[in-house]
Amino acid sequence: MTEVKLPPLAEGVDKASVSYWHHSVGDNVKEGEDLVELVTDKATFNMPSPASGVLKEITVNEGEEAKVGQVLAKIG
Amino acid sequence: MESRERTPEWLKKRLVVKSANLSATKKILAEFRINTVCESALCPNLNECYSRNKATFLILGPACTRACCFCSVEKGSPGTIDVKEPERITKAIKSLGTRYAVVTSVTRDDLPDGGAAQYAKVIRAIKALSEDIKVEVLVPDFKARQSSIEKVLDAGADVFSHNIETVGRLYSVVRKGADYTRSLMILKLAKYIVPRQITKSAILVGLGETESEVGQVMTDIKAAGCDILAIGQYMQPSKDNLPVQRFVAPDEFERYRDLGKRLGFKSVMAGPFVRSSYMAEDSYNSMEGKYNDGSEVAAVGGRG
Repeated sequence: MTEVKLPPLAEGVDKASVSYWHHSVGDNVKEGEDLVELVTDKATFNMPSPASGVLKEITVNEGEEAKVGQVLAKIG
Repeated sequence: MESRERTPEWLKKRLVVKSANLSATKKILAEFRINTVCESALCPNLNECYSRNKATFLILGPACTRACCFCSVEKGSPGTIDVKEPERITKAIKSLGTRYAVVTSVTRDDLPDGGAAQYAKVIRAIKALSEDIKVEVLVPDFKARQSSIEKVLDAGADVFSHNIETVGRLYSVVRKGADYTRSLMILKLAKYIVPRQITKSAILVGLGETESEVGQVMTDIKAAGCDILAIGQYMQPSKDNLPVQRFVAPDEFERYRDLGKRLGFKSVMAGPFVRSSYMAEDSYNSMEGKYNDGSEVAAVGGRG
């Protein structure tokens, strides 16, 4: 099981909002393809999936905020 | 316009997450207590550049004596100059394996020379490490003091850069404390003092300027003898900064690139994620004609 964590985006930026999940729970995802869209005060990022597998769980939903290091999803 | 309008597709930055270089770069910068404009300006390209071992050093800081409304660099009273700074920078350059160093600074209106002597020391220290390392400096306006500009030029940077940032009409809103004509004068003076000096400038779009005003500022920058130009989308760093007035579409950047070539710039980078220091080495090399495909540069900026 791979935990997808919110990576550091810039110094002093300790949180981001999840604006869009490119996949739903149960989908097969491939390492490197867009998984989740993140929004900080300054910019919008597409974060690629860190692993291939089934998206087992989404722990931060669209519109919610997460802190750097927080688990956003689990891939197994 | 609503400042928090939904981001257009072309302004979504692909995040680099899996990279050994990214964490190694962060570690080196922390070890030598290096400030970077990448971090101070919350740059969206940070992960991408760090993963290529590239960072833009911010000297004489971290605090800036000016309070430009587009910029998120810390404002306040800067401390004394760190005499060890050139040494810390060269140690970081050695660890990072940098072949093309980009050095910028906060504005130091409190210093009689605006910090020019420190620039010169940093340039000389890098060149002492290896003459082969190219150095690009992005300087503040030094209040157009010729002696400060001479001090920096004497140290022998490969590229001397000063950003015009925006159109003349918006200076009172965007760059309080700066002056459009004075900033152009920096570029002119550099060419006047050292005619063979490569000079560079950058502007941000989306701050409320019109396309024809951008054409005018590009013409003015070219008239100042400038060789390299970078044009990118302004992004609001925090709620305390100016809101974005407009997201400039990729085809408009393409028109700026075409215009830049017609005006005779040796290299023009224009794209949503282009910043003055972004891909600076490629920009420099494309000017030499080794990498001369302007459309490819735009594709990089657009894809992120």
